[in-house]
Amino acid sequence: MIVDYLIDIIPFAADWPGLVFVSVVIFCAVPVFLFIAVYALVAIYGELKVSSFMQDKIGPMGQGVGLHAGKWGLLQPIADALKLILKEDIIPTTADRKLFILAPFIVFIGAFISMAALPFSQTIIVADMNIGIFYILAVSSLGVIGIILAGWSSNNKWSLYGAMRSAAQIVSYEIPAGLSIIGVVMITGTLSMQGIIEHQSGFVWGILPNWIIFQNPFTFLSFFLFFISGVAECNRTPFDIPEAESELVAGAFTEYSGMRYAFFFLSEYANMFVVSGVAAAAFLGGWRSPIPGVLDTPGWGIMWFIGKSMFLIFMMMWFRWTWPRLRVDQLMSVCWKGFIPIAFFNIFGIGIWKLLIG
Amino acid sequence: MGVAAAKEIGPVQAEEMVLNIGPQHPSTHGVLRLKVKTDGEIVSEVIPYIGYLHRCFEKHAESITYEQVIPFTDRCDYLGSMNNNFGFAVAMEELMDIKVPERVEYIRIIMAELNRIASHLLALGVYGLDVGAFTPFLHMFRDRERILDIFELTCGARLLYNYMWVGGVSHDLPRNFDSICIDFLDYFEPKIPEFNELLTTNKIFIERTADVGVMPAEVAISYGVSGPNLRGSGVKWDVRRDEPYSIYDKFDFEIPVGSGDVGTLGDCWDRYWVRMLEMMESCKIIRQALKTIPEGGDVHQMVPKKIRPPKGSIYRRTESPRGDLGYYIISDGSEIPFRMKMRSPALTALSVLDEISAGWMISDVIAILGSLDIVLGEIDR
Amino acid sequence: MRAYLRTIWESVSTLVTGMTITWRHMVNIRKGNVTLQYPEERWPRPERDIGFDQDDYNVIRSRLHVDMDDCIGCLKCERVCPVDCIKIETEKVDKGEDIPDVGHTGITSNGTKKALLLTRFDIDMTECCYCNLCTYPCPEECIYMTGGPNSEKHPIDYEFSQFDRNDMVYRFAKEASEEQVEKATCVKNGEKKNG
Repeated sequence: MIVDYLIDIIPFAADWPGLVFVSVVIFCAVPVFLFIAVYALVAIYGELKVSSFMQDKIGPMGQGVGLHAGKWGLLQPIADALKLILKEDIIPTTADRKLFILAPFIVFIGAFISMAALPFSQTIIVADMNIGIFYILAVSSLGVIGIILAGWSSNNKWSLYGAMRSAAQIVSYEIPAGLSIIGVVMITGTLSMQGIIEHQSGFVWGILPNWIIFQNPFTFLSFFLFFISGVAECNRTPFDIPEAESELVAGAFTEYSGMRYAFFFLSEYANMFVVSGVAAAAFLGGWRSPIPGVLDTPGWGIMWFIGKSMFLIFMMMWFRWTWPRLRVDQLMSVCWKGFIPIAFFNIFGIGIWKLLIG
Repeated sequence: MGVAAAKEIGPVQAEEMVLNIGPQHPSTHGVLRLKVKTDGEIVSEVIPYIGYLHRCFEKHAESITYEQVIPFTDRCDYLGSMNNNFGFAVAMEELMDIKVPERVEYIRIIMAELNRIASHLLALGVYGLDVGAFTPFLHMFRDRERILDIFELTCGARLLYNYMWVGGVSHDLPRNFDSICIDFLDYFEPKIPEFNELLTTNKIFIERTADVGVMPAEVAISYGVSGPNLRGSGVKWDVRRDEPYSIYDKFDFEIPVGSGDVGTLGDCWDRYWVRMLEMMESCKIIRQALKTIPEGGDVHQMVPKKIRPPKGSIYRRTESPRGDLGYYIISDGSEIPFRMKMRSPALTALSVLDEISAGWMISDVIAILGSLDIVLGEIDR
Repeated sequence: MRAYLRTIWESVSTLVTGMTITWRHMVNIRKGNVTLQYPEERWPRPERDIGFDQDDYNVIRSRLHVDMDDCIGCLKCERVCPVDCIKIETEKVDKGEDIPDVGHTGITSNGTKKALLLTRFDIDMTECCYCNLCTYPCPEECIYMTGGPNSEKHPIDYEFSQFDRNDMVYRFAKEASEEQVEKATCVKNGEKKNG
């Protein structure tokens, strides 16, 4: 789309369409990557602080200069990142070398390319596809291949357990997540992210913003189904059984260290953002202001979108630092006996509501 | 072609996989190795391998004097050091026929019960960690820290006290001890309902622990399991009540037993819950003791200059936070013990692991191990 | 169906209860915070108001310190140490007389006349188990743990970290060469031989 547009307006571009394509990709990919990196630092800092406050401690702090972590410990995530970069990169001798090296990148790619369809504001979106939400659902589960590769190639029993658990979990929780999205698609009649957000303008029930979550009781339930399934897809507590540090040491990532481990870490946080972003766009009005008509400009749109996503990420952290972890079979039963029946019920409910009420 | 390949490979076989949990593992509570036979996630056999922390306590005790043994008893069960000292002191006093001053008895009981709370707080907090809840762990540590402050105030040490000597205690209580201790209890008792709301009644926690690792009373008794683990199976047995030592018979306290409220009698949740209730009972005992503690007197009054017990032997058990802690001491009339044996409650608790965790999943093995509250320092000695 | 819905209700309500607790802790962090910023803030040492005579008690477990001028070399602390971290060597000298060459004082602050010169008094703090047993039998009360009631004698020192393990062996004996020691002791030996 952009490529065609550029070829049209730049006179000499038509001679090297490949070059234009590559430069456009880089032009889009670099800011997204930078965004992920910066966001991950912020999220790590937030997680440190949220967890500390919940546990009656104050987390990373620093006074003065030198080896301290800066004012309020603001430099802590940078120090963490630096440490991970500088650490020795260990590849076990018995590991399957090629797959071992490949795995972190596949996991990261899964999270990274999902970002392409996230609508940051009215205008800022890498690719406004007409199947945007479908695309995200499809590519975000690409990461599981990387986790399985990581678990298999590490040649470690703990890793293998983690990988197998992760595969079973992500495949299962795709279903309630997808079924909840179907409700949204039924209401809006479009798969495009921007289309879904366009639909959520104005008021509903008189005072509430016309977000899908508020449109009827079934969508309200759908939001929680989608969000909790999303938490499970990110492998966060209470669904962190692939990592389960008290059982599986570090699960699929046991043998990883340094930069490679950092990539898993980064993609976990990126995945959190993708899930929160989709939930915010599909249920919470995306870049729309909470008071329709007030501060609804594109500039504020990006604030609203990131703000909503960060709130949902905060919810994930809140879950993590409050609840214990489920066991693997309970995780499955929650999904298959709890979420999926409710999700089907919701689809019927939304259909009937739409038919009868509007 | 396909048939030929199938013939070559043979029928599909599922083999049992042997998994080593430990010695380096986050939740083995020390240096323990569990050889686990698994079929997928299901565990069919758990064999504990111990000895990674063996420090020859019993043999070493044969070459050091009785007073030198006391610092080493601290290091066996390092979470219940006061109770370990207490057991040794009680056994030695019975062997030497020493009657300690009443104030000393009160001090000992206050310290032992505070230590029991501290130990249970750690056990429960770490159990939360085992099932994945991080926050209760730090909340409990925060309160345990206050108990350690009280110990530091009393004897200078926070973890390994060497506080209870044969015939007395090393330091008298500080003058303002009453108010400090009451302050702590007033602070701590309202925290227990909060722990319950945060962890005990949490549905995920109940799912993880209720009905898991059921230890029927017969199994517990036949393995010699004692303490909160035995009481979790519904057996009302407590050395403090049934074979009272020191002056425990003067106090009014309940012996909490497992009820099977949320699952089966004797499951992990019951063992957890018994510990929670025991902390409340310990608070009750401390309050009673603080009310009636006699003033004055020298705590060193009955401490012998040289500990030279008469020829003979003694076996005395006491109730440590982990169960029946027994000391068997043979004296040949000299300054150093001829033979010394410690009956460790954690060792018997570990021995029952295979019996109650076969058929459960790997996650459950961790949960069951945590619910038994073992301390490897005491198992390996 | 009832049981199914009941389970869902129980799950949701107990999980939300847990979340309200963590939320309360998070918003009340200023009141509930227990962290101390270690190098800037120190854990307050508990006030030591001990019953009876304070000097009889040594309510601290910290680094051992020896006042060498008071030590008579009775070896009681060495014998009582359960981990043998105290090593003492002595030489016989004239009783009660100062030998300035090797920094030996003849009379302790309690008035006891010393008959032994300490050529070695090492405490290996890496081995010390802080049981405090050595401080009790000392007749001159010259070995004690620093801080607590002794804080005016010696400042409290918790962070006694060293870069080299051998630096943790504290040598309290006064510096003296072999000849000096021999000179200090041979007088007496000579006397004995003559007598």
